[in-house]
Amino acid sequence: MRAELLYRIQIQQILPGIVTHFQCVGQYRQNPARKVYKKMLLSLMIFVPLLGMIAVLLLPRESEELIKRVTLAFTLIPLVLAVVLFISYDRSAAGTQYVQGPVPWIEAFNIQYHIGIDGLSVTLLLLTALLGPICVIASWRNIEKGIKAYMALFLLLETGMLGFFAALDLFLFYVFFELTLLPMYFLIGVWGGPRREYAAIKFFLYTLFGSVLMLVAMIAVYLNSGTPDARTFDIPTLVALASTEGHALANLDFQIWVFLGFFIGFAVKVPIFPFHTWLPDAHVEAPTAISVILAGVLLKMGTYGLVRINMAMFPQGLDFFCNGLGTWGNSLALLGFINIVYGSFCALAQTDFKKLVAYSSIGHMGFVILGLSARNSAGITGAILQMFNHGVISAMLFLLVGVIYDRAHHREINGFGGLGSRMPIYTGITTLAFMASLGLPGLSGFVGEALSLLGAYDKFKMLTVLSTIGIVVGAAYFLWTLQRVFLGTLNPKYESLPEINGREILTLVPLGILTIVLGVWPSFAIDMFSESVSNLLDTLQVSL
Amino acid sequence: MVIPLISLILLCPLAAFAIFGLLSLAKLRFPRQDYLSTAAMLIGLVCSLLLLQEVVPEPAPHTVEWISLGSVTFSMGFYLDSVTAIMLIVVTLVSSLVHIFSIGYMHGDARYPRFFAFLSLFSFSMLFLVVSDNLLGIYIGWELVGLCSYLLIGFWFEKDSAANACKKAFLTTRVGDIGMFIGMMMLFTKFRTLSLYGEGGIFALAASLTTGDMVWLSIAGVLIFCGAIGKSAQVPLHTWLPDAMEGPTPVSALIHAATMVAAGVYLTARMFPILTETSSLVIAYVGGITALIAATIAIVRFDIKRVLAYSTISQLGYMMLGIGAGSYVAGLFHLTTHAFFKALLFLGSGSVIHAFHAMHAHHSGDEHASHDSGHEHGDHGVADGVAGAPQSGETTLSGSDIPADQDMRNMGGLRRKMPITFATMLIATLSISGVPFIFSGFWSKDAILGGVLERAMEWGSVHHYILFGIALFAAGITAFYMFRLIFMTFFGEPRNQEMHDMAHESPKVMTVPLIVLALLSFPVVNILWFNDAYVTPPAQPHLHAPQHAGIIDDSIVTETQQREKVAGAPQSGETTLFAFGFSKAPTSFFGISEAVAAEEGEHDTHAEEGHHSPAHKIAMVLSICVAGLGILFSWLFYHKRTLSAESVATSFRPLYNLFWHKYYFDEFYNGVLVALTVWKARLFAQFDGSVVDGIVNGVGRLTRDILAAFIGFFDNRVVDGTVNRVAQVTWAVGGRIRRIQTGAIQTYLFVVLAGIVLLILIFRAL
Repeated sequence: MRAELLYRIQIQQILPGIVTHFQCVGQYRQNPARKVYKKMLLSLMIFVPLLGMIAVLLLPRESEELIKRVTLAFTLIPLVLAVVLFISYDRSAAGTQYVQGPVPWIEAFNIQYHIGIDGLSVTLLLLTALLGPICVIASWRNIEKGIKAYMALFLLLETGMLGFFAALDLFLFYVFFELTLLPMYFLIGVWGGPRREYAAIKFFLYTLFGSVLMLVAMIAVYLNSGTPDARTFDIPTLVALASTEGHALANLDFQIWVFLGFFIGFAVKVPIFPFHTWLPDAHVEAPTAISVILAGVLLKMGTYGLVRINMAMFPQGLDFFCNGLGTWGNSLALLGFINIVYGSFCALAQTDFKKLVAYSSIGHMGFVILGLSARNSAGITGAILQMFNHGVISAMLFLLVGVIYDRAHHREINGFGGLGSRMPIYTGITTLAFMASLGLPGLSGFVGEALSLLGAYDKFKMLTVLSTIGIVVGAAYFLWTLQRVFLGTLNPKYESLPEINGREILTLVPLGILTIVLGVWPSFAIDMFSESVSNLLDTLQVSL
Repeated sequence: MVIPLISLILLCPLAAFAIFGLLSLAKLRFPRQDYLSTAAMLIGLVCSLLLLQEVVPEPAPHTVEWISLGSVTFSMGFYLDSVTAIMLIVVTLVSSLVHIFSIGYMHGDARYPRFFAFLSLFSFSMLFLVVSDNLLGIYIGWELVGLCSYLLIGFWFEKDSAANACKKAFLTTRVGDIGMFIGMMMLFTKFRTLSLYGEGGIFALAASLTTGDMVWLSIAGVLIFCGAIGKSAQVPLHTWLPDAMEGPTPVSALIHAATMVAAGVYLTARMFPILTETSSLVIAYVGGITALIAATIAIVRFDIKRVLAYSTISQLGYMMLGIGAGSYVAGLFHLTTHAFFKALLFLGSGSVIHAFHAMHAHHSGDEHASHDSGHEHGDHGVADGVAGAPQSGETTLSGSDIPADQDMRNMGGLRRKMPITFATMLIATLSISGVPFIFSGFWSKDAILGGVLERAMEWGSVHHYILFGIALFAAGITAFYMFRLIFMTFFGEPRNQEMHDMAHESPKVMTVPLIVLALLSFPVVNILWFNDAYVTPPAQPHLHAPQHAGIIDDSIVTETQQREKVAGAPQSGETTLFAFGFSKAPTSFFGISEAVAAEEGEHDTHAEEGHHSPAHKIAMVLSICVAGLGILFSWLFYHKRTLSAESVATSFRPLYNLFWHKYYFDEFYNGVLVALTVWKARLFAQFDGSVVDGIVNGVGRLTRDILAAFIGFFDNRVVDGTVNRVAQVTWAVGGRIRRIQTGAIQTYLFVVLAGIVLLILIFRAL
């Protein structure tokens, strides 16, 4: 008994002890002497890649190795900073931390430089910063032309993504959102596959179409935010105003229309059916690392926007689309359901490895929408966790597709066969990624999906039960792919296919570890944003 | 001591797997993965035996918070009651023996270390499932054992049949798991927790539900049971288990006979307190029908492993029937006895297959190397005419599916060649057939039969009389097909002389586990189950005799408990003698302290609630009769040859065809369900490509054309040269990216940057 008691005490003390330790570090950082450093930290993280871009542009085109190394260094710095942020972020405190600004930027329109992070942002910042160096390493050997421009564009892209997740000013938010569009367009259009031009234009126009609506909605919000001299783009202020009774922003009709404008903008990014068709094309044509960024981060920009703007700023508009459509019931949940089932079935029919993964992304993002539409703690927590997990898992999947494409120069699932005996390590890692993606408990994919479903079942039973079809189909297409690519007798064409190399393993291992850690100990991530979730729930509750 | 011991049990096999995984990633190999995994399992066994005396009545779960979401928390934890303790021993014991057996059986396999690593991962997952105190933990273990099953069925994945089988197993069980997950969502939404025990647990909360919730609770119960239907291969999701025999035979013994497939029974037993009349009846019927269907299919199989696979399904059906009929102890008791004798049967068949192996030199370690010799049976098997398939076409079709070294038509007369394998398998067969008194299988099967009949008589329930009839009939068939297996394999003259000559007894490392399991097929575990002090069936507050239907009344519960106590007193002679006779030996074997043993001795006098009532006596007599008949007919058909299986098959052609085609389940699933799903997927994909994307592209094209027409108009009519340029810039977005490729990317980059800077400056100026 004594031993048992001691053991229990140890277990119960050690884990919180570690957390408390981190919190102490966080408190230390609040020390005035550290304040400047703390204020600058976030900005530093965002703009270091931009500095890196300038550095790369100044290097001679011929010194390719140097360019790669410099890029790697400039993506590793944000990663280190993101880890520092993640550790020192005060988990128990509500609200935004590491706030910088507001500093006036464009005074004529009261546009400010205002950044800061809450639990949701810091999680996605970590994801973005982690995928940065991984993508650089993944691009080490297989970008053959214009490495300098590629790396420069990539660094610009990273600044856009990091800034987007930290922006607290709506205009700044929009600028960063658009900032990711241009480099992405060139990265697909120049370094992509045979149909790159088509894919790049499709991606560009689609997103542009969405962001134009978003821009209109944004201007509408700005114009309604107060008297001409008190108008603002400041997100926290706008959120507060939108919940103030009688304010123009709190008007239901206004919220419905503005909600729709933002929603379509983000829906294209997520992507939500029927705005999803750019995704398979873009993924198939994009080079491996860009697919990773696309699935890992860019899709999350859509769902992040939904949480940050649509849910927090327009709770009544949200309520209308969740309840106000009479027999249609919860239209947002319906979209989530369609994404899950439609994406899964489409994936089942694919024979292109990369296209299959792309459609599976559509299906898995459906769980995020379903969880968000539940508007309860299990649903929203599950959705946010699913964002992060999908970022990690889909990144793994695209890297793995890249590995085999670099060797066999095609992605036709039926064209392989029996690779399991030739490439055991590659097969093992792929199995891990597939299992994580199909929601095997013990790996991260499960927790997010299960929480989303548990939350959703509370609100809409039938849709949730029907959504579980997606889980079975998900297992079906992954296992079928596993069988066609890795099982059976070895295709004689690939008798001398080289095993996955150290560089490729290096890109996959951190993601694999995260998949396992978050599957076993999801609180590691959930504790980061549980306060933010309860804040959001308060906002939703207050305005109803 | 409980937590450290359970942690050790879990961590040892996990560590064994982790070592393998990490080393593989570094392209290294641990030289003795087999010893490592086996040692991990043996440590687990020792810890499990130590845990046996840590069991306390009404234990509290040991939990830690796993996920906290404001008002809701999900916790993970251990729960150790007597059932858990016994299950831990069963799993670690069978697993240890299978590990040892595999050292001999898998010797020389190209992926030998990987096999042991997977076994370790499986053991960890299975043990995690067993000790979990909440549904989420059970579900996690549940899916992980599914993964291990997938990996091990597909261990020889070069074989297409294995690759198909592992996929089928995973997907079929996942269909059931989804049902289970929906059931979990229902329970969670109602009770806001997934913990089972303790004050805030599901069982405590469910006990206070009122009549109005009974339909809901029944649905939830049946949905949870769906998971068990998948994992325990109950009809209609049973089709994956026979195919799972594509895995190495030790895997079939451990996962697909003794432990994982029994997890469904374990889960159903765990959910015992929330079962209502309706859900109990559904479970009983599913179990009963499964027992019968699988037994009839087993009669006509020729593949030794397939016979055993259908036998497993049938026996699992028995356990489900027992639990559905309210015989909690009987169902779990049969689970334990079955685990030992079925593991023995599979390992024995593995020993036979291994004996035939020699003729295929030393292989890459596979039973399937014999595929090419599959045609041989055409000469030997059918000519031998052991209930040969009536249509030659079918025979060839199915015959070619059976590897020669698993085809019983190639065997015969092996008892002289392999005496130990023969003797041990015979003991297991006697046990499973229900040969009275000295074999464990008799007691557990009889407990189920008696339990069903008792319920039928007590309630006057027609359903339970029907179920009893089904179970009794299936028991007879079981004895018949099991002795068919023994006669065809070990008796008579060798049918394939060439293979017979090569056959040899297996090495010690394989026969010792057989002997240990044979000893366990005698009723050594009875003492644990036939002991009210050790195993107490949980109360079922929502289940009561039909005449009380609709009334929730505490007095019923107490009444039931009282009845149990009163019932405990008198004993029929042989049961007392028997239970007592074995009580001392296993007690000391399991290392239970003197005090506990003394206490058990006292309880022996009124052990096993069931065996006193008339129902149990009737059931016992009837079961002995049907077992005798089954063995007799088997002897007449397959040994004495006074009756011809062929002629019987011919006279009952339609029935024979039904059995031969396994009730056409596979045909239905492949032809209808799978085809429909794939068709639907293609339809969706086509819709996506042509309609959704078609609209997008159409709009795009339209816009471009209108834009082009407009620009053309503008160009011609309004301005010339300068506007031409503007149009070209517009087009650059569309079609002129080729220019970029020629090296002008940097220009673009600078344009982008300059644009941003310009934008900022402009806004600044404003």
